[in-house]
Amino acid sequence: MSPTPLQSALASAPDRATQTLSRPEQEFFCFRIGSLKMAFAASHVREVVRFTPLTPLPRTPAFLLGVSGHRGEVLPVVDLLRFLGKGEAKIGPRSRLLIGISGTYVCAFAADQVAGLTRIAVADILPPPLGGDASQEHLDGVVAAANEKDGALHLLNLPKLLQSIRARVVVR
Amino acid sequence: MMDAGVHATEAPASVDVLFFRIGEARYGADASQVLRIDRAGFQAKWVEALGMPREGGRALVFHDARGEEAQLCVDEVVGVRPVSVHQLRRVPPAAGQPRGVIGFWLDEGQAPVVLIDLPASLDAPKGQ
Repeated sequence: MSPTPLQSALASAPDRATQTLSRPEQEFFCFRIGSLKMAFAASHVREVVRFTPLTPLPRTPAFLLGVSGHRGEVLPVVDLLRFLGKGEAKIGPRSRLLIGISGTYVCAFAADQVAGLTRIAVADILPPPLGGDASQEHLDGVVAAANEKDGALHLLNLPKLLQSIRARVVVR
Repeated sequence: MMDAGVHATEAPASVDVLFFRIGEARYGADASQVLRIDRAGFQAKWVEALGMPREGGRALVFHDARGEEAQLCVDEVVGVRPVSVHQLRRVPPAAGQPRGVIGFWLDEGQAPVVLIDLPASLDAPKGQ
């Protein structure tokens, strides 16, 4: 007995959505500092909290704004703009602390605005531009904006970033 | 037979911390390091990294690494209080280990207070 058209169709049907197969995605946590749009892989972001009073830490580089107490934990707070040599963050009432984690390293990053989680198709991630400045070494890639005004989204490699931060702090 | 670990010094449940201010910043140090609190004399030093004292009228007197008396210039001595070990925190790995900083006192709802080792703070190279 020959299969019905439906049975034939089912026999060749994929196991999951073909769109997912052809366009795998990654989840990123997006935020803005100054005019820069940045994102960390969502798996490295623990939480986002309001800015709490900071205690400056002696003998540390300027990009380390200080330490903050959060849920019984002392967290170093980093100004990514200063670290990447792109200016400095302007801390205001809308600023947030984005807590990143990689292994045993936990660190808070100042952010002007938090956009939240976004799924980005891997195919849309472009390699970091060649011949860029030192900050490019911490980039996993960039995502071009839909319109030029928005600016590209910079996908940062948090584990690498934390290692560099640690290395530059320890050098002191 | 006694285990070697038995002889290890047990951490106290609380420790006396002397809190003081230099400019706007509040610091704490192990009270047992402080020999006395004195008026700041000509031999009292200030440490740039800890901030500039406003008046610096007081000095914490302690033994430096060579065992000689040294004085750190401070603005105000807030007092000595016992701090529970549960309120003490080590320096987070991502912050490195800034010279002289040994940890923090974390009181609920307050900004962390930097705890310093007095001799190590004073011995840091100039400008640090």
